Amino acid sequence: MYTSLNNRRSFIKKMATLSAMTAAATMFPGIIFAEEQERNLPVGGDLDWKKSPCRFCGVGCGILVGVENGKAVAVKGDPNSSVNKGLLCVKGYHQTMCIQSKDRLTHALVKKNGTYVKTPINEALDLVASKMKETIEKHGKDSVAMYTSGQSTIPEGYVASKFMKGAIGTNNLDCNARLCMASAVAGFLTSFGADEPMGCYEDFDYADYYVTWGNNMAEMHPILFSRMLSQKNNRGAKIIDFATRTTRSSMASNKSILFEPQTDLAVGNAICYEIINNGWVNKSFVEKYCNFSKGLTNMGYGLEDKYKFKDKPEKINFDEYKAFLEDYTPEKVAKYSKVSVKDIKYLAAIFGDPNKKVMSLWCMGVNQHTRGTWMNNIIYNIHLLTGKISQPGNGPFSLTGQPSACGTAREVGTFTHKLPKGVVMNPKHRAKAAKIWKVPVERIPAKPTYHATEMFRAVDRGDIKFIWTQVVNPLVSLPRTSRFRPGMEKESCFVVVSDVFPTPTSDVADVILPASWHIEKSGLYGNSERRTQHWDKMVDGPGETTPDAWMTIEVAKRMGYGDLFPYSEENHAEEIYNEYRQFHAGKKHEMAPLEVLKKQSGAIWPYVDGKSTQWRFNAKYDPACSNGKDFHFYGKPDGKAVIWQRPFEPAPETPDKEYPFWLNTGRVIEHWHTGSMTRRIPVLHKAMPHAYVEFHPDDAKALGIRNGENIKVTSRRGSCTLPASINERGLPTKGQVFVPFFDENMLINDVTLDAFCPISKEPDYKKCAVKVEKV
Amino acid sequence: MKRLGIISLFVLLFIGFITIWHFSYKQGLEEAYVPINTEESITLIPSEKGVFRRSEHALDYAKMPIDEEHQRSLVEYYENKAFHGAPPSIPHEIVSERNMGGVSCLKCHENGGFVSKFSAYAPVTPHPEMVNCRQCHVPQYTDKLFKDTNYEKVQAPLVGVNNALLSSPPVIPHQIQMKENCLSCHAGPSAPKEIRVSHPERVNCRQCHVLNNKEIKDIGVFKRASNE
Repeated sequence: MYTSLNNRRSFIKKMATLSAMTAAATMFPGIIFAEEQERNLPVGGDLDWKKSPCRFCGVGCGILVGVENGKAVAVKGDPNSSVNKGLLCVKGYHQTMCIQSKDRLTHALVKKNGTYVKTPINEALDLVASKMKETIEKHGKDSVAMYTSGQSTIPEGYVASKFMKGAIGTNNLDCNARLCMASAVAGFLTSFGADEPMGCYEDFDYADYYVTWGNNMAEMHPILFSRMLSQKNNRGAKIIDFATRTTRSSMASNKSILFEPQTDLAVGNAICYEIINNGWVNKSFVEKYCNFSKGLTNMGYGLEDKYKFKDKPEKINFDEYKAFLEDYTPEKVAKYSKVSVKDIKYLAAIFGDPNKKVMSLWCMGVNQHTRGTWMNNIIYNIHLLTGKISQPGNGPFSLTGQPSACGTAREVGTFTHKLPKGVVMNPKHRAKAAKIWKVPVERIPAKPTYHATEMFRAVDRGDIKFIWTQVVNPLVSLPRTSRFRPGMEKESCFVVVSDVFPTPTSDVADVILPASWHIEKSGLYGNSERRTQHWDKMVDGPGETTPDAWMTIEVAKRMGYGDLFPYSEENHAEEIYNEYRQFHAGKKHEMAPLEVLKKQSGAIWPYVDGKSTQWRFNAKYDPACSNGKDFHFYGKPDGKAVIWQRPFEPAPETPDKEYPFWLNTGRVIEHWHTGSMTRRIPVLHKAMPHAYVEFHPDDAKALGIRNGENIKVTSRRGSCTLPASINERGLPTKGQVFVPFFDENMLINDVTLDAFCPISKEPDYKKCAVKVEKV
Repeated sequence: MKRLGIISLFVLLFIGFITIWHFSYKQGLEEAYVPINTEESITLIPSEKGVFRRSEHALDYAKMPIDEEHQRSLVEYYENKAFHGAPPSIPHEIVSERNMGGVSCLKCHENGGFVSKFSAYAPVTPHPEMVNCRQCHVPQYTDKLFKDTNYEKVQAPLVGVNNALLSSPPVIPHQIQMKENCLSCHAGPSAPKEIRVSHPERVNCRQCHVLNNKEIKDIGVFKRASNE
């Protein structure tokens, strides 16, 4: 019991008050103290908790936002969401704080004589529409472009696609998901003919091994990493970290294997070699469900403007594939990958053990790669050869960066070559889109135009004369911004930027449109595990802020396409989703109806007969399998997945005498992408106030660099000065430096290279050559 | 005849052995069945996991003398949270930027104890099973903001005003998700003095203290069909 004198004294005091009150109550029975007591009951009880997916990454955690007097005052994890089961990360907990930032864009701004003038939104939209119309009349449809985002909601992406492809009739629509998920898409399409992972997050609960490929999940997908950690601690599952940088994820893993940048291709092939050489191939699976193919090699890197590439797939047989792998024995690969023979064999043995369930996980390390599609293919090869795919706990799992990279960019298809169902090149797909959109089929052009990098090159060249960006900050996030910033500043292009906050991109805009933030509008997102999630508007946005979808619709109306957009302002998100669902009708991609999504924390498509399909292509779980066998890869016409012969090819720019370091870029847990939101959240900014350049201690010592000293990082394209960080958050391999890209004051993308994967057109932000010097 | 009988007996036994062995071998090969989840379950009442954790220390807490010199106050407790219910930030320097909780944070924050360097008792985490601590808890390296903000912290519940009747046990005035274990904050030397419980040995806290918030789904006001 308490032994403190003070406490005893206060207790006696309290008792005295209490007894006096009790006495009063007996003397005057009418007195009710309870009411007074209840009046002071804590405010927390009045909070309304409203459900939504998180605004930030592709994991798609369920959040509950506490709303009081029309303001969002608290956030917690949704215990009913099967994704995160009540847990969030530091970004998630504090997300709503950004909307209160004092420099919020609350009104439209139009640039007049070099200064921004506050303009009523209707006038600003009039101007945007008339400019767009005028440009089309003068220079043709392909002179206007729209650049959107994997953070756009499903309705926002859908109206953008309908507006550009269906109403105007140009394929000049691409999005920032090109910068993060295009290689994953190309990998899925080439290997399986159907986009997005076959498994789901429940795989974490069954897998014995998690192999992470170039992926720092502890910081980038923290909720999923926590699920892995709890399986590791409770069940003895093992985490194997395969990376070029030692991170928190490496520290928490059972084994960390480091490799030389770009050699993941060779190591992947060496694993396949070992699997075949040791007889670990699941022969019946490969015979029944797999084909072998090879494509073109020496594709180049897309460094020159108007670069074109088309792969020519060619069928091969198992023996040819086996012969090809002879170049990738562990002994040969160990020489240039800096991974020991023992470690390669260890990795292969994990996949080769038929009694162990293995999940492969990867994100930007594999995707932002000049051979990103190949690297995706190679991981699928490993899983297909061993038959470890489409089963609970067994499977390759391509993680997503953005909250709706899957839901919007990939499923709605806000890429130049995509339609909500299929691709523009396919006449049947065009006909389907034209029918649902109620437009003449000839209006949808059959040829894709610009992918993201090429779109901004075209702006620089003067080919694009009008560009509208939404939910995106390309002048921080594009590779080689040192070329694209002056490009966008040119008079030749009219730039419209819709955003919530001022950014380096809005700094070059001719018109800035004020957008509503996440919970200030209704919407839907789709996460990495094919889960579609809905949220309702919770609070009003300030000033004249407007949902992005509604601004697109308003401009379309002003350009005379009103009949194609017959939605109501209050309910447009729901009406658009219902129209969009028609595209995906059928067992292979049925989307859950709105009533279901409103009730529960999302549903996984294909949503057939009231059930989410958790494992696609597996007849036990997927009603779309129709070949009568255990597995059916129905994305391909013959129902078979493809094992691709993909060689190792070097990176376009490797360290040399003049530029002796690899430059790797990425994120940190505290900040989301370009930091326009998270830097306006006090807790997060205070935790990570600025970017830095990480060194290996040996390199730092050789150069005489100490922690915190300012270092100029220079490539052939540009330079950036940042403080040095030695052995702190991350530890790059020797000969490599790492810089996070969130900081608009230290633009590392001025330095990066705009080389991309020729198949997916996704740039490689992880590898270029730089020199470093003390300033 | 007898020999034939013995032989056939052994043959039968052998066949039986083969059959049973084959059957059990096949059974062993079969994969564990993973049920298909049809409905996403909706919890109606808040989780109670970890409610009794630390209860083995309850008697120690009860006997422990109070170190009044080094007590925390509730104001200090709320100071490093962005809002009432937010994960607290880390108010001290950190040894390693990369380590997981098991090898660093939990050394002090699993069971608490006096830290002479900070002249304070280390607060005890209610969820030591989650070891990626810095997924939610971050240090604060600067006082400056990137841009000014209008964000206002909502007032956290006050102490001593949350019992419904005069002498009734106070209700729980805060969210309990991620902090289902009451003793980690309400008992021991690191507990803020205003909310330190006088009876830590009664470990079944929620026997008397109930929740007071809309954590559970609001099902509306019950109305009797007739006026009887």
